[in-house]
Amino acid sequence: MNNLLFFLTLISIGFVVGTIAEKRHYRSIHEREKKFLHLPAVTVKTVHYPDEKVKSAELVCGSAVISIDYFKRFLASLRNIFGGTVKSYESLIDRARREALLRMKEMAGDATVIVNVRIETSTIGKKANKKGVGCLEAIAYGTAMILEK
Amino acid sequence: MKYTPRQPESNVNVTPTSPLRDFFLLTAGLLGIVIVIYILLGLAVDLVVPRISTDLEKRIAGLFIRSIEAKDTASERENYVQLLLEDLQERCAKLPYLFKVHIRQASAVNAVALPGGHIVVYTGLLDKVASENELAFVLGHEMGHYAYRDHLRGMGRAFVFITISALLFGTDSNISKMLVHGLNITEMSFSRKQETRADEFALEMLNCDYGHVAGAVDFFEKIPKEQDPGKFGHYFASHPESHKRISHLEDIIRSRGFKLAERTPLPENWRQSKNLT
Repeated sequence: MNNLLFFLTLISIGFVVGTIAEKRHYRSIHEREKKFLHLPAVTVKTVHYPDEKVKSAELVCGSAVISIDYFKRFLASLRNIFGGTVKSYESLIDRARREALLRMKEMAGDATVIVNVRIETSTIGKKANKKGVGCLEAIAYGTAMILEK
Repeated sequence: MKYTPRQPESNVNVTPTSPLRDFFLLTAGLLGIVIVIYILLGLAVDLVVPRISTDLEKRIAGLFIRSIEAKDTASERENYVQLLLEDLQERCAKLPYLFKVHIRQASAVNAVALPGGHIVVYTGLLDKVASENELAFVLGHEMGHYAYRDHLRGMGRAFVFITISALLFGTDSNISKMLVHGLNITEMSFSRKQETRADEFALEMLNCDYGHVAGAVDFFEKIPKEQDPGKFGHYFASHPESHKRISHLEDIIRSRGFKLAERTPLPENWRQSKNLT
């Protein structure tokens, strides 16, 4: 009985706190994405631009680590039984990727464009590569270029 | 083509869904499956028990019997009960079991029929009985459970698990051993019908062995006098309605014309050995 109570407490804390944190994070992501709209991050490898007009080109990267909450973990473990899309993890990965992209843009400063952008994910923490997902890291990197008009 | 930066209107990577709805749906599904398995296991008990051979039962008993035998201490009372039991079996109840009595030091007024013919008798019961006939009735009752295989049914769903594990992994495997240790096998529940059948069995046996049935209801009549159900432990909790059982036994005694006669006393040193066991 005590175990069940403990478990339910963890689940409800996970749900309430996790939902609030997620909403707040998404708000901040939306705001910053709007702020960085002028800086495109693209996946093309080569830019056809006169060499003398390229002022600088350097590596920029941004990474974000997002932890899973108890509620999401439980929901995913239920999904493990029945199969299907693990919706509870979707927002987690989405947030990590977008946050990483935003941090990369922040690092780029006054660049005109970021080319050759790649995004990678990995799990970290005690449970990484084992049964459950502890934390999720997304890392975004690319080449920030300052171009003269 | 002019590039106009803009934010996407919707997020294609995140499914718009209510996690709570998902949570309740999945939990309900899981609970439903668990309930179905529970019911099926309940049905499986009746399916499995009649098909268990005494050989398999013995092998299953081998899983836990060492821990019970380890606590055995030889005593005069144990010898006495063992001999009485063997005598009853030889003369009146030819059951395919090699019965073995294990005396346990405990205040519980109880006896338990474990798989493989192992009968655990608590000292609380030995202290309570006043005559050999009374003791024989209690032993007969437990043998009745063996005769109808209630002792396997009484273990309920746990027994289905143990049997499956014993058949799949063998009785030497750690899985089977772990399962037996994790389940409390001495806690059994019997239905009223099973108790009544065992009572009738014991009555027949008493009549067969002694030629009369004196002492059959002694044991139950002790209960209201004590007026402390807690003191008796779970024996009476799982053997309910002693009044009904007494009157049922008396009905049979009357209709079958069983005789009543002098009770056979217990050996003289029964009370003294009480302190020794």
